[in-house]
Amino acid sequence: MQVVGEKQNVWTAPTGRRTDEWSECLTQIAEHEDRAAFTRLFRHFAPLIKAFALSGSTMSATHADELVQEVMLKVWQKAGAFNPEKAAASTWVYTIARNCRTDMFRRLQKFDTPLAAEDFTPEQDGEEPFAQLQSKRSGERIREMMADLPADQTQILAKVYMEGKSHAEAAAELDLPLGTVKSRVRLAIQKLQVQFERV
Amino acid sequence: MATFHPQLELLTEHAAGSLSVAQSACVAAHLNYCAECRHSVVQLQNIGTALFESADPVPVGDVLLNRVLARLDEEAPLHHSSPADQAGSNATPALLQRLMQGDFSDLPWRKVTDALRITRLQTGDPNYEFALYHIKAGGVIPDHGHRGSEMTLILEGGFSDDRGTYHPGDFTYRRQEDEHAPQALADQDCICLAVLDAPLRFTGWKYRWMNPFLRLHAG
Ligand SMILES: [Zn+2]
Ligand SMILES: [Zn+2]
Repeated sequence: MQVVGEKQNVWTAPTGRRTDEWSECLTQIAEHEDRAAFTRLFRHFAPLIKAFALSGSTMSATHADELVQEVMLKVWQKAGAFNPEKAAASTWVYTIARNCRTDMFRRLQKFDTPLAAEDFTPEQDGEEPFAQLQSKRSGERIREMMADLPADQTQILAKVYMEGKSHAEAAAELDLPLGTVKSRVRLAIQKLQVQFERV
Repeated sequence: MATFHPQLELLTEHAAGSLSVAQSACVAAHLNYCAECRHSVVQLQNIGTALFESADPVPVGDVLLNRVLARLDEEAPLHHSSPADQAGSNATPALLQRLMQGDFSDLPWRKVTDALRITRLQTGDPNYEFALYHIKAGGVIPDHGHRGSEMTLILEGGFSDDRGTYHPGDFTYRRQEDEHAPQALADQDCICLAVLDAPLRFTGWKYRWMNPFLRLHAG
């Protein structure tokens, strides 16, 4: 794994807004159907999407390539919906990749549902700009703090997020009691200062 | 504003995309009512982003790039209208509206007891039943245990049980060992969404005879 939180190519756009190379590419695509910008974006994100598809190794290389195509095509088609005030480009691409993978898993399991993964994301356009900014900041903070997590916690988070395993599946694979997995996830999430309602 | 929320574990699995369709739909419906949990899910997705960004890249050849470039002029497939911007409102979540394809009154309700009617919605989930419960004002769902897990989200009215009083947007998750007898609030019928992976088990003498007839209808 590379160092998390390493900032790449962050600069200040002429508008005075802090931005990054990938957000700029998305904006170029949305405004000018810029294929060169898309190619740069592809070269950066496609290998990450493929890594995401293959982690947990339940997906064949052919399906992984299919997923890369599907995600990148969606990135092109939906670039106009990307809002740099709301999220980092990587968050936006990750969300599309996660949704496409969930749908693909369901398709492969011949699982016929009227719901697509993107239907599960609540529309948050009504959210206050302040809340949007907070969310974006928390993303930056989380990226920086991930590097300091103990290895056993990072390992389980990777199972849950990269491999898309439930807590129970992660416990079975790591040969750990379910309670241990749950408490490691909870500890990691608390260390990353994610706020949540206690129940 | 909701008082009862999904556990962190459920929100995390929802954010990571590993929760089953039926359960994820129930959590998503809660998010519709709850700004706090929406905010948590955004942060939980940021953990996913951080892991995604720091993954060891797997090389992708130019063949694939060219294949995608050749497809850029394709028409984007039409997706049914995405959930309207009604997050935070108390209207029935758009996700449910789509599964219902109509109003509560249009659904084929089946009578279980004098106070309880049930209708099932199809999510395609092979393991979980996804049903709406209609409890008459003041009516009780007979004392029952859970052979598996039971997720409940209040949509209209409310009910109370040994843990508290639930209003629209409130979420509960009961496990096998829990027994309760939810009673609808006196002044209004209660409609709630219930997601189960095993049929209920009535524990009171009056309804115990029904247990052999209670079946799970997943799908
Ligand atoms: Zn909540
Ligand atoms: Zn119950």
